[in-house]
Amino acid sequence: MAQPNHANYHHAYTTYDPDETPRPPRPKRFKDDKLNHIADQLVAPTDVFNQYAAPQHPQHQPPTQQHRYPTNIAYNKQQYQQQYQHQYQQQAHQFPFTSSQPSGTLPSPKAIMDKRHPSSFQQLEKLGEGTYATVFKGRNRQTGELVALKEIHLDSEEGTPSTAIREISLMKELKHENIVSLHDVIHTDNKLMLVFEYMDKDLKKFMDSRGSGGQLDYLTIKSFMYQLLHGIAFCHENRVLHRDLKPQNLLINNKGQLKLADFGLARAFGIPVNTFSNEVVTLWYRAPDVLLGSRTYNTSIDIWSAGCIMAEMYTGRPLFPGTTNEDQLQKIFRLMGTPSERSWPGITAFPEYKPGWHVYATQDLRMILPTVEPAALDLLGRCLQLRPEMRVGAQEATDHAWFRDLNVGRAQPQQQQQQQHTQAQQIGQGMVGSQGQMPMGQQQQGMGMTAGGYGMPAYQ
Amino acid sequence: MAANYWASTQRLHWQFSRTELQDILQHLENEDPALTQQYPLLDRRLLSIFYNQQLVKLAKRMSIRQQALGTAQVYIRRFYTKVDVRNTNPYLILTTALYLACKMEESPQHIRVVVEHARSLWPDFIPSDVSRLGECEFYLISEMNSQLIIHHPYRTLQELQGRLDLVQDDVLVAWSIINDHYLTDLPLLFAPHVIAIAAIFLAMTLKQSSGGQQAAVNAAAYLTDSRQAIREGSSTVASNDNVPEKRIGSFVKWLAEGEVDLQAVADSMQEIISLYDVWDRYGEKTCKDQISHVVKARGLDK
Repeated sequence: MAQPNHANYHHAYTTYDPDETPRPPRPKRFKDDKLNHIADQLVAPTDVFNQYAAPQHPQHQPPTQQHRYPTNIAYNKQQYQQQYQHQYQQQAHQFPFTSSQPSGTLPSPKAIMDKRHPSSFQQLEKLGEGTYATVFKGRNRQTGELVALKEIHLDSEEGTPSTAIREISLMKELKHENIVSLHDVIHTDNKLMLVFEYMDKDLKKFMDSRGSGGQLDYLTIKSFMYQLLHGIAFCHENRVLHRDLKPQNLLINNKGQLKLADFGLARAFGIPVNTFSNEVVTLWYRAPDVLLGSRTYNTSIDIWSAGCIMAEMYTGRPLFPGTTNEDQLQKIFRLMGTPSERSWPGITAFPEYKPGWHVYATQDLRMILPTVEPAALDLLGRCLQLRPEMRVGAQEATDHAWFRDLNVGRAQPQQQQQQQHTQAQQIGQGMVGSQGQMPMGQQQQGMGMTAGGYGMPAYQ
Repeated sequence: MAANYWASTQRLHWQFSRTELQDILQHLENEDPALTQQYPLLDRRLLSIFYNQQLVKLAKRMSIRQQALGTAQVYIRRFYTKVDVRNTNPYLILTTALYLACKMEESPQHIRVVVEHARSLWPDFIPSDVSRLGECEFYLISEMNSQLIIHHPYRTLQELQGRLDLVQDDVLVAWSIINDHYLTDLPLLFAPHVIAIAAIFLAMTLKQSSGGQQAAVNAAAYLTDSRQAIREGSSTVASNDNVPEKRIGSFVKWLAEGEVDLQAVADSMQEIISLYDVWDRYGEKTCKDQISHVVKARGLDK
């Protein structure tokens, strides 16, 4: 995380002369003009963060206040007021923190310290457009580091979109080498900007760029599948379902790393809730139980998606490119066989069950993937089980024999970390009645695995 | 509710020691001594009860699930470690926290509906313009650093129910005690599983004797020594033939054998017992008047 330390922030404030940086007028977000003005003031000072990252005034005393709390409570408001008072007066506005405030909703000035300004990033080309956001490539002006800037448009009617809130809050919790990392959240007048680590391509584009009809070579597939399952396992261990895995949501960088992205539909599955929306997961990668109308699905829906993605990497084509819910089921049954009460007890109780389905026999996966090695087919078969309870778990899948020759040296320590992690999680749930504190080293190992690639075949 | 508690932002950023929390709150008050002096407020615990009762009124009207209500309560508590109450309109903060919590717990409510209900409860304090709620939500998210996933003790309670063969009565009482713990600083002080265990223990002991609270106080004191006692091979714990006492005995034994921080459990029990004590002194009117005074005098309701 490229988080500047708080001392630097302090420094930025104490050396900042507001008159030095003329500010262009901003679009108005709030109805109340005073609020608009305050919002301008609140966001802007961080502009100078970059300018003043290194001390310029030798007489400057570093703040003596210790930042003992991670929440960064220590902040000298008086100092802030002195700095800005004349500016507010100049512009004939009352200083907001000492006089009446609209709606009682003013952020305290320290909120600024957590934010950086969008102008800290140079906006480059557009990378994509989602349902509630636009993604741009960006460059950190200070460090030159490439980032992905996800701009979320705010809907004044329903506040901040819940997809965005869900994604941001989950990304704050999930730190893993196979999950794209969220560097920063920037609040501006009319939008929310998420700063993600930059990844070169999504898996879809990566496959399209390979030249051989979208097919990938076996070693790349193995490495990608391992990383995909590893990322999924981490999510599941942390009680998070992704729910929307597809090649477009898997990002690849030029080190051959694969990371899960786009957690807008992800949900936490803490307390069992029987009201999961069944309108999730893009049709092609949607598990049959979800297609059948199940609202009590679980982690196994992500495993089904992973299986579909695996097959697609081999053939270059989507495995089940259905057009409607019904067509999607038909395409799945044509390969996997039409399920019956005998092969899937309880299937007739699903809302979308139709008694008149054409009865297909189960095909051998070898028929569609004749050149794939048996171990890979075995794993694929374990992912693509019609019945959710028959699908392999993500953690178990990463231990599959097919991966055994993949960087044995690297996989080993990760397994250990994984175990520690699981243990910690159990403690967190009160499973293994345990001391309130976990040894520091252990906890950090669990989270801070450094990304180092998986000894990828050099495909670049 | 989501993710791994041990690696969570809740544990890493929103859990404090008592002294830390004290310092944080003191710091907020010291930021503007004149303001603090001009608008004296009651004991924070009394105010907490007031906020909670208001919030519950709103939640009841809208039939909000308990989990979302709990999340809103933690948001409010977190928010007020960052911003002095006197700089806010608590009614708007409560409403916004509930609105945001509903989004987070996947039971979203329409902003208009929320504002409508809130306005019918507190017509003088909630602006009719719905975008105000949206703005306030934005600030709440920002003050909480977008760290919005809350781990609640309910899950541990549900897990332990089966594991420890808890009787339904105990579970129900423990559940209500967990509901009540949101009125205290406990969500900022201890891990959810610690609170769940404290609630179970309280549920078992409170019911047990007519002495009620005193019994629980004794139990808390006893608990801190129990691990020692068991290590020394004392068999006093489970010796009684009385059935409920036997259950408590086996629960204590289970606790003592595990690694749960018993001091923290005892502390939590103590805090909840004090809450019930403070509650006896609570009067809604004083809180209401004080809050109204600050909000009106400072024009925070506009």
